[in-house]
Amino acid sequence: MTSPLIRAQQAAAEADAALAELFQTQYAAMHRLAVLLGADDAEDIVAEAFYQLYRRWKKLRGAEKAVPYLRSVVCNLTRMRLRHLQVVRKHATPETAPPTGSSAEAEALLHDDQRALVAALKELPPRQREALVLRHWLGLREAEIAEAMGISAGAVKSHTSRGMAALTRVLEERR
Amino acid sequence: MTTTEDRLRETLDALAAGIEAAPPAYRKARGEWLRRERRRRLVLAVLIAIVFALADLIGLWALNQTRDHDPIIFDDRSRIHQTEPATRVIPP
Repeated sequence: MTSPLIRAQQAAAEADAALAELFQTQYAAMHRLAVLLGADDAEDIVAEAFYQLYRRWKKLRGAEKAVPYLRSVVCNLTRMRLRHLQVVRKHATPETAPPTGSSAEAEALLHDDQRALVAALKELPPRQREALVLRHWLGLREAEIAEAMGISAGAVKSHTSRGMAALTRVLEERR
Repeated sequence: MTTTEDRLRETLDALAAGIEAAPPAYRKARGEWLRRERRRRLVLAVLIAIVFALADLIGLWALNQTRDHDPIIFDDRSRIHQTEPATRVIPP
C-alpha cells in the first residue's frame, strides 16, 4: 500500500515526464503554427503557451487533450498579439512601426506566386487566417478547428469559405 | 489544374519548412515556469493580505467612530423602553 505522499510524488514525476515529452515533440510545430498565424514574437507565444499548459496540467481531462489545449492557447495569444499590433500601427509613425512578422527568412525561399499568396493571407482578418491555416496546414477537422478557435463549427465554415474566396480573388487578379 | 486550396497547402508547407524551430532546453524552460509560478503565488498572497488588512482597518475605523455606549450591531433599546398599549376593557 502506498502513502498519499508517495502517490503525489509519482503523479508529479509522471506529469513532468509527459510535459518534457510534449515540449520536445510539439515545440517546433507550435512555433511554426504561431509564425503561420502571423505572430512577430512566436517564441514568446509558444513559451507562454507551454507555461499555461504547465499551470493547468492537473485540470486537463486527459493527456490527449494537451495538444488541442496548446493549439488553442497559441491561437488566442497570436490573435491578441495581432490586435495589439494593429492598435500600435494605427498610432505609430513610419519610423516607429513594429515589424510585420517573423517569417521573413522563410518567405525568401518561396516563389513569386507563393509570396503573393502569403501576402494575401496576411491581409485577411485574423479569424479567417486562423481557420485557413488550421484547415489546410494542420489538416484539422471542423470540430477540431472550432475547439482551437473557441467558436462554433458553423462559424468555422463561414471563416474558411470567406478566406478562401478572398485568396481566390487575389490569385485571379494576378493572372 | 491546381485549385486555390492546393496552392495554399503547398505554400503553407513551404513556408513552414523554412522556419527554424529547435526547442530550447526543457530544464531551463521548466525553471522559468517554476519561477513564474512562485512569483504569481507571492503576488496573490500579498494581494490577499492587503485586502484583509484594509478590511480590518475599515472595521476598526467604523468602531472608533461610534460613541462609547451606543450598541453598534443590534439596537433593541426602542423596543425595551416601549410602553405596553393600555387595554381599554370597560367593566360591566
